Amino acid sequence: MAKLKIRRNPTRRYEAVYIIDSALEDTAIAEKLEKLQSLLELTAEAEIEHWGRRQLAYMIGRHETGYYIISRFDAAPTVLPEFERALKLDGGVVRYLVSLLEHELGAPKLSDEELALRRRASDDDDDDEE
Amino acid sequence: MRRQKKPCPVTEAGIRYVDYKDDRLLARFITDYGKILPSRLSGVDARHQRQLSKAIKRARFLALLPYVKGQTAT
Repeated sequence: MAKLKIRRNPTRRYEAVYIIDSALEDTAIAEKLEKLQSLLELTAEAEIEHWGRRQLAYMIGRHETGYYIISRFDAAPTVLPEFERALKLDGGVVRYLVSLLEHELGAPKLSDEELALRRRASDDDDDDEE
Repeated sequence: MRRQKKPCPVTEAGIRYVDYKDDRLLARFITDYGKILPSRLSGVDARHQRQLSKAIKRARFLALLPYVKGQTAT
């Protein structure tokens, strides 16, 4: 029988993207962000990245642009439902996405040898490691 | 007669996990109409194609990529 894995650390790493109404003032946006982040009961500081105002690829309701904010944080899964509820009810948030951040995304700097290794590995059709 | 397999462009770029926020990368793997490009055409390996597929769908939801491109407004 397989043993149940017990998670010592009850928090998981998440990444949230908020699209906030770009008509709001910068100060109002900062305030809103702080209010939302405070709902997460974070022990460590969240990593926040501001993309600023951006053209949306399609219109969301009456919005053509949105203020993008990306936040990475460690939180307990139990606080998320309440957090997402607050996001949903907030009129200033045009759209949001909370996703698990299990791996570093994008291109971490690989050495040339690693790259060559990867290339060889990708020759075998499907390599699901880990 | 087997065609030579193309090297995977995502692996070539040194990417382990495709980032759904990287709209410039993702835009290379959609068609002119905004559909996801099949790996048969792009040469992406199966593992990265699965990641791309998910990433493109997330990027669409976040309005980083369009669901339908080249459509005139009515």
